[in-house]
Amino acid sequence: MRIKNITWTDPKLQILTLPLLVVLFLFFLIPFAMTVMLSFQITKYYQVVWSWDLTTWKDVFTHSYYWVIMARTLKMAMICVVLCVSLSLPVAYALVNRIPSMENHVKILIVFAFLADAILKTFGWVLFFDRSGVLNGFLEMLGFGPAASDILFTPTAAIIGMVYNLLPYTIFTIYLSMARIDRDLIAAAYDSGASKFRTFWEITLPLSKPGLLAGAVLVFVLGLGAFLEPKIMGGGTAPLAAELIRQTFETRVNWPLGASLTILVIGIGALTLIFFGYLLIKLTKLQENTT
Amino acid sequence: MTAPIIDVKSLDKFYQSYQALYNITLSVEVGEFIALVGPSGCGKTSLLKILAGFEDFNSGTLKLEGKDMREVPPSERPTRMVFQKLALFPHKTVFDNIAFPLKIAKRPKIEIDKKVRQMLELMHLKEEYLNRYPAQLSGGEQQRVALARSLVSSPSILLLDEPLSALDVKLKKSLQAELKRLHRIVGTSFVHVTHDLEEAMMLADRICVMKDGHILQIGAPNDIYYRPEHPFVAGFIGETNLLPTKLTYDENGANFATPGINCNAPIVPAPQLATSLDSNQALLMIRPELISINANTTKDCQMKGEVTEFFVKGATIQYRLRVLGLENEITVDTPSTAEVPISVGQAVRLDFDLNDIFILGA
Repeated sequence: MRIKNITWTDPKLQILTLPLLVVLFLFFLIPFAMTVMLSFQITKYYQVVWSWDLTTWKDVFTHSYYWVIMARTLKMAMICVVLCVSLSLPVAYALVNRIPSMENHVKILIVFAFLADAILKTFGWVLFFDRSGVLNGFLEMLGFGPAASDILFTPTAAIIGMVYNLLPYTIFTIYLSMARIDRDLIAAAYDSGASKFRTFWEITLPLSKPGLLAGAVLVFVLGLGAFLEPKIMGGGTAPLAAELIRQTFETRVNWPLGASLTILVIGIGALTLIFFGYLLIKLTKLQENTT
Repeated sequence: MTAPIIDVKSLDKFYQSYQALYNITLSVEVGEFIALVGPSGCGKTSLLKILAGFEDFNSGTLKLEGKDMREVPPSERPTRMVFQKLALFPHKTVFDNIAFPLKIAKRPKIEIDKKVRQMLELMHLKEEYLNRYPAQLSGGEQQRVALARSLVSSPSILLLDEPLSALDVKLKKSLQAELKRLHRIVGTSFVHVTHDLEEAMMLADRICVMKDGHILQIGAPNDIYYRPEHPFVAGFIGETNLLPTKLTYDENGANFATPGINCNAPIVPAPQLATSLDSNQALLMIRPELISINANTTKDCQMKGEVTEFFVKGATIQYRLRVLGLENEITVDTPSTAEVPISVGQAVRLDFDLNDIFILGA
């Protein structure tokens, strides 16, 4: 049987993707356009005034406070990506190569943890990290004295919560990529004299790249918008973009400013992805040229 | 004589309770081309994987280059494997694929470059392929790259896991010739796994026929063809005539009695007796091309029969005959002629020599 190459000009494909396109148009593109429009208005007495000027944007660009929060959000999202990817690699590797008999059990456990409500899990962490919580109880038992760890309501706690909640994305995308690697390729590398680490570095890791990148992008985007964990576990001393936007809309009732901050987050996210995508292509080319 | 490069003794292999290999003993000389042949599930691939180090074994010993290989990982063995599905690294160029074992061994860049180019020449691959990826090559070219990668670090043993089985007939034939040429040039010992005995006969110095985890016979292609120790080996390649025979022994040697066959003195020449014979019930084997039909001169033994069918096979004509007093049909191959000289139903005389028969255990 021949598999036909289908392009987007194929009418059948167009009809099949039409529902999705309609949904995306109605619930993504239109709201996005409205947000962009909204960012060019101003507010007076908690009312949006239809004005079409740059007042709101001037406001955004002249207050360094917003940019500090944006930078902090970007940093948190990047830390999340690095931690999620580096924690998921061994897990995915073990799932595929080390515990094949337990593979499905572990996968089900991860899915359960993933599907459990994020609010519940986050409050679970609060109980764990609390001054009189599980962790400190345990540390006290070991003789570290009362309330030895005091990381709850710090950015570190927020990172732990975010990584915990986002980890399944990278585990599964990397796992799927790794599971597709032909076992003979690994065997061929061993056969050629490569050590386990060298085989991982030269064969497994490059061939897992699609899943790794997909997972990293997912975690980055979700990390940029993280709201729950910074609020519950981060303690509010160092707010992130999502919290800032919520406050702008709800507490300050300044919709145009909220809209422009939203656009700013999306813009920063998109630019970062483009930058790293470009860097990756450059690096791959460089690697190909040197070897 | 130098020590064997592969020395397997009384090796057993179990997969849980299933025994895959029984008491395997095999030795391969330096530079020898040996083929492991057998139907699927006979254990030939398991044996190859044990040689490569991808599988361990339960009892017995395995020595490569005189060194005990138990617990030695594949990366530290003097073997290189050509995988059935080739296992070329899809994300590496042809150059990087071939150079991989050398890079792992941290050879200097100049040496790597030189050796890869030597391999390229040896495999008749074009220079411009070096920067391509495996998926951009044809099946035959991928085979050559896989061979190049396995041979580039000059291993002393090359293991081939049916690498030709997925190719079409024409390409297969040309790569078989290539393999034989390669073996002569590089002087590496080849262990070639295949289910195709014809391929094994063409390529190998010795053939090891396996079935159900046992080695049935190890021998040169001619031994396997003309002196099979086991009915399975006899029937594994080409067509043959296997006739139940009774043996009696007297001072002249082994006498055989097969209904329908008349001989002046039915004494089996000693070299034509299988070493594995253990009872008086035996099988007489005679290859179809060693029987003549209506020959001018009579030979040691005769049969009388009637042609029931014939097939024109190109270079030969094959006759099926019913022989008086024999249950089995007899198959005879004669060189082809422009006209089929004998027709169905015709009564004929069949002749063969005692030196052309072989007696093996039933």
